Amino acid sequence: MNTIAALEQAEKLLTPWTKEAVRPEPNRLDVTIAGLDLYACAAALKQEPWGYLSAITGLDLGLEVGELETLYHFCEGAAITTLRVRLLRQGGSVPTLYPLFPVASFFERELSEMFGIEVTGTPDPSRLFIPDDWPVNVYPLLKDFDPKVVQPRQADSPRSFQPQDGQTFYVPIGPQHPALKEPGHFEFTVDGEVIVGARMRLGYVHRGIEKATESQNWVQNLYLLERVCGICSHTHATAYVLGVERLAGVETPPRAQAIRELIAGLERIHSHLLWLGVSAHEAGFDTLFMYSWRDRETVMDILENLSGNRVNYSANIIGGVKFDIYPEHAKTIRQGLDFLEERIRHYLDIVTTDILFLQRTRGIGRISREEAAHLGLLGPTARASGVVRDVRIEAPYGPYSHYPVSIVTSEAGDLEARFVVRLKELFVTINTIRVIMDNLPESDLSVRVPRRIPAGETISRVEAPRGEVFYFIKSDGTDRPERIKVRTPSLCNWTAVLSKAVGSQLADAPLLIAGMDPCFSCNDRMITVKRLDGK
Amino acid sequence: MNAQWMPIFEKLKTWARVNSPWAIHFNSGSCNGCDIEILATLTPRYDLERFGVKLQGSPRHADILICTGPVTRQARERLLRTYEQMPEPRFVVAVGSCAISSGAFQNCYNVIGSIDEVIPVDAYIPGCPPRPEAIIDGLVKLLQHVSSSSKMEIAK
Repeated sequence: MNTIAALEQAEKLLTPWTKEAVRPEPNRLDVTIAGLDLYACAAALKQEPWGYLSAITGLDLGLEVGELETLYHFCEGAAITTLRVRLLRQGGSVPTLYPLFPVASFFERELSEMFGIEVTGTPDPSRLFIPDDWPVNVYPLLKDFDPKVVQPRQADSPRSFQPQDGQTFYVPIGPQHPALKEPGHFEFTVDGEVIVGARMRLGYVHRGIEKATESQNWVQNLYLLERVCGICSHTHATAYVLGVERLAGVETPPRAQAIRELIAGLERIHSHLLWLGVSAHEAGFDTLFMYSWRDRETVMDILENLSGNRVNYSANIIGGVKFDIYPEHAKTIRQGLDFLEERIRHYLDIVTTDILFLQRTRGIGRISREEAAHLGLLGPTARASGVVRDVRIEAPYGPYSHYPVSIVTSEAGDLEARFVVRLKELFVTINTIRVIMDNLPESDLSVRVPRRIPAGETISRVEAPRGEVFYFIKSDGTDRPERIKVRTPSLCNWTAVLSKAVGSQLADAPLLIAGMDPCFSCNDRMITVKRLDGK
Repeated sequence: MNAQWMPIFEKLKTWARVNSPWAIHFNSGSCNGCDIEILATLTPRYDLERFGVKLQGSPRHADILICTGPVTRQARERLLRTYEQMPEPRFVVAVGSCAISSGAFQNCYNVIGSIDEVIPVDAYIPGCPPRPEAIIDGLVKLLQHVSSSSKMEIAK
């Protein structure tokens, strides 16, 4: 289905409830509806089925207007339908979409916490990612939020890990724990060795970046948004600059676009090899961890060679890229890729043949295609379950229309498939990088972009190594953004992992968590999943 | 033990401590950049283990606390608790711009500040993120400091 047809179909589906429908951009449809009709609209889209719920954005329209707006973004291929609901600033409420889209519960809790919007019927209205001692009725993303009202943090209240009923035990893990290098707190309820309930709580790395972007200018924000995540810094920067360039109406030179994709490819290699090592470590296979990290240094050298920094290479500027690729670079890149291709083939061999490793991965944490689609999984985790979901292919952005990539999927849906899909993806990535280097177009590296960005809204979706990164950018015509919303793939993937943890062996939990390549820093959030056994 | 043996025993302890410092890593709000570089420092190319450094899961077994990131409101308590669980003498290394000065996240509503506003820091390693060589350099400098330190006296 092409984009125009998809949008027309969505428009027709939503006609009964539409108050106003506009097409702000060729691939977008904005439908204003009443809050009461929200569930019916979402149900109509779900029934068709038309796309998946990609993100929920809250907007504060300002004190003068006295209203808030919630935006529900649904994506189908390149087409994006946004349901817009206007709410009163005080006491606004929307119905939950959790029964239709389980992932909505996370988005909604973030919404209610950041804007004070009540979500009725949500399965878990507790605090999502703001600390426990945060004052009530203070919502950080409202325009009149005053940080001074938040007092220094008090001590945590002690938590009890006593067995509830004499049958089950809590096993608390984290936030500081030896396996994952980032803080996340997990509480598994176990009956013997079997997990019967899983809770997690993040928010230890929630810094408040979305708010901070509103007080900095467009160029400064590039630096900040690269630091949403140190592993996929280029992806975040790309998503941001693509959006800003679209708002400014500038066309990035083709060479800059090609270099962006090349860096994105190198980032994917470094991220997947990093993940391979960490996951192997979770499975107790430290040899693989050490080898994959040794080989990862090859790609780190290439990145350093190109940009001068190993991490946070900051290739992007608004309107282009900072550095060029010279023939001497190309030579080292090619040599590095040849070496890596051989090594990755070896790793693929290991993860599919090593009996001990297979016992930890084959058939474990299996997610069927229907489940994956229902849960709203993204990225390689979804592709390992046979869901064709890759922004680079569904909605080619920037460079990907010139250098297409092929998709790698697997039907198995277990942990092994997640290893295989990620490793096979690297072959595709390596080939794409070679194609780019063979066909680097000649052009400038950047164009001038005005300091003030014209007023407007745009949505930018980019495929990170972990899945779709979603940026909603709104400008009011000044040199600062009005609102930047960041939705990262890990947030969508937690649902699946925690629901799969229930019923698994406790010993499989670390690998289940690592198997989706979680990124806490991206998440920036705190999530609690209730016991899923109905107790 | 006979009092005359005490200085020799102390020397022995310092020798052991300098040659096998066990480290624990805590991320109190970092973007992962520093964390992956710390991990890279431990892997074959840079191989921090040749200095006897071992990454250790439990704070109760650790000598060095390697901190990354600014301190967020939610992580502060955990950082303090991790620090307090470590046996004396303990050393803290702040890795990266954010750990030193909150870096890019200054004035964010959920960020309290740098590491040294919460716990005392012994070594600072600047960079965004610091290169693995810089991390090795910082740790080796810390170990040199430990081997000749008056901190040992204080710890007693």
